[in-house]
Amino acid sequence: MTAGPQARPARSPKPARPGEAEGDWLRLSPRSLIVRPLTDLVRLLPLVAGLLILHSRAGDGLIWGMLAAVAAIVSGLVHWATTRYKITDERVYVRRGLLNQKTLSVARDRIRTVDVTAHLLHRVLGVCRVSIGTGRNDYRSGESFHLDGLTRSDAEDLRALLLVANGTAVIAAAAAPSASGLAPDAGAGRPAEPDTEPAAADARAVTAHAAEDPAPEIARLRLGWLRFAPLTLTGLVVLGVLFGAVLQVNNDTNIDLATTGPVKLLVGDFAALSIVQRVGVGTVVAVAGYMLIALIGYIAVYWNFRLAGYGADTVRVTRGLLSIRATTISLSRLRGVEISEPLLLRAAHGARCTAITTGLHVGRGAENEGSVLLPPAPRAVAQRVATQLLSIPPELCSGPLTRHGPAALRRRYVRALAAAALVVLAIAVVTWVRHGPAWVWIGSLALLPAAALVAADRYRNLGHRLAYGWLVTRTGSFARRRSIIAADAIIGWRIHQTWFQRRQGLMTLTATTAAGQQHYSLRDVPVARGLAVAAKATGDLIKPFLSDPGQDTGDGTGGHG
Amino acid sequence: MTTEHTAQPMLPGLRVPANRVSRRAISYWTARALLGGALLVIAEIVVATASGFAAVWVSVVTATAVVAAAHAVIMPRWRYRVHRWEVTDEALYTRSGWFSVHWRIAPISRIQTIDSHRSFGERIFGLANVTATTASAAGPVRIHGLDRHLADTLLDQLAVATGQAQGDAT
Repeated sequence: MTAGPQARPARSPKPARPGEAEGDWLRLSPRSLIVRPLTDLVRLLPLVAGLLILHSRAGDGLIWGMLAAVAAIVSGLVHWATTRYKITDERVYVRRGLLNQKTLSVARDRIRTVDVTAHLLHRVLGVCRVSIGTGRNDYRSGESFHLDGLTRSDAEDLRALLLVANGTAVIAAAAAPSASGLAPDAGAGRPAEPDTEPAAADARAVTAHAAEDPAPEIARLRLGWLRFAPLTLTGLVVLGVLFGAVLQVNNDTNIDLATTGPVKLLVGDFAALSIVQRVGVGTVVAVAGYMLIALIGYIAVYWNFRLAGYGADTVRVTRGLLSIRATTISLSRLRGVEISEPLLLRAAHGARCTAITTGLHVGRGAENEGSVLLPPAPRAVAQRVATQLLSIPPELCSGPLTRHGPAALRRRYVRALAAAALVVLAIAVVTWVRHGPAWVWIGSLALLPAAALVAADRYRNLGHRLAYGWLVTRTGSFARRRSIIAADAIIGWRIHQTWFQRRQGLMTLTATTAAGQQHYSLRDVPVARGLAVAAKATGDLIKPFLSDPGQDTGDGTGGHG
Repeated sequence: MTTEHTAQPMLPGLRVPANRVSRRAISYWTARALLGGALLVIAEIVVATASGFAAVWVSVVTATAVVAAAHAVIMPRWRYRVHRWEVTDEALYTRSGWFSVHWRIAPISRIQTIDSHRSFGERIFGLANVTATTASAAGPVRIHGLDRHLADTLLDQLAVATGQAQGDAT
């Protein structure tokens, strides 16, 4: 298994599956027959419990529970029986569905990322879920390219196969050692499938190749980073999810939490305190609780976080305490990195990194997780990670940017103050109508200086730079983001100008791309400057449409009156 | 002419796309604006009648009607002066909007799909719009208010042009 002609490595991991001709349809692991019904049942648990309790008096609660279990088992069986996948030299196919059969296919050279996740139940049974990130972003829900319930060795095979064969001979050559390292493992491992120590073996599988790989480690979780955990809003999300879960259990089971003993006791104690004490105790409990939950959330999601090179062209992010996640990102498909600093994190000199790549969506919440390159960590680490991954001069990740000028500054103030003034006005009107106390609207005047501060900060953060073939933009105040995007990933421009911007000679220039958020904007950039950036970034695209400012007026009146 | 000229939105440094949309688009936009305004006024009258038609409602309804009428007169003409499009060998270039103006440039080589769509209203006025999507979810380019036959021609022309280009730079 040496690096031969270009076609060879593409086929090389194949012989590891004895007796299987090229292009056979493969099934998921039979163990997914256990995983799926159990996950479904766990998800249905509150409902089932509710039904059991609701119907227990009538005596048919058990029937409902049995029905749910049968439904879960049948759906698991159907899912296993109808899901197949096939890998050919050019494409990967996934076929599923009982009544409406659906076949998804993707060209192998379009695969950008492979995301292997294994939650607790998966790990116990030694299976995992593989999602393949492709260039397509118009998938409707349920059409995403994923296989739930592959054995870990199958998943490793698939992952190596997909990303090893992805690209040029140079990449294949560099990745060949890891592929050959994989082959005996896969060949010997497959017949001896029933593992005696599934959980430990699985942990090994997800991190195995990173561990045995001589490739350089770029970053690893340090205990000190835990101090950044309460500084992002992730904790609030966890809190929301917990609250929702409690509410749902409460609703489904008809147990009124407020009437249970401990809660009554707590409420009683709380009511006995004076108002000052109540506020004090409430604040302390809220802050401590929030910090604890944020800390737990950070540890659960980012425990054992490790970012390391894997082969010549891919990097690998592994992380997770209970659910393990290993995301492999093709470096040649990495179009940029976003360094984001929410206000609190910024105050503590922290930052986090996300990958701007096609196939991993950048957004808020869960979708964001796949593209995490670095959890909240010291800013210097974030800058180093971005510099190293993109192989760019460090000044692009940390250096100063071109400001957008006095008109943009004025616009920041006008917008912030106008919004604050509107709120103050609304509060004043409401207090006047309701005959409320005057201090309410007088107090709301404090919004104005606060808005001015935000405006000043927003302007200070606003900037852009185009150098070394990379476009850097930075915006925001409450969540400051610096996006570094490859100029050759830009596949179009949008220019937006409101009537007000037109009077001030500003415009919002947006580069559209297939990666990350799909669009990256230079807000309120002076017109001439913006066009110069666009022309320099993608020379041939915009140049035919540039004109001499002098000629422009005559051209535009065009015909009638 | 001169007043309308100041209304003509210009971005110094960026050329105006070559082609205007169909003149029938003015009628279509007027009809749409009138319909929207009429619905709003009717809704207000219904609410006013239900709440006993206080004196303040008369002025509210009148003001709405005046604004809606002004909008239906000004917006379509202003919009017609702004909306322009151009297809070159390399790129699709459009300008749209009225109060706020959008320019869009998409390279032909990056266009993935080209659709034409005709709503009921557009069919009445013999119009069609053409949408070209790129690999970026943020990058669809729409040309509204095209003559129906021109839209068909444009669709074919773009289909041929994009068929010749390879790769989508993702």
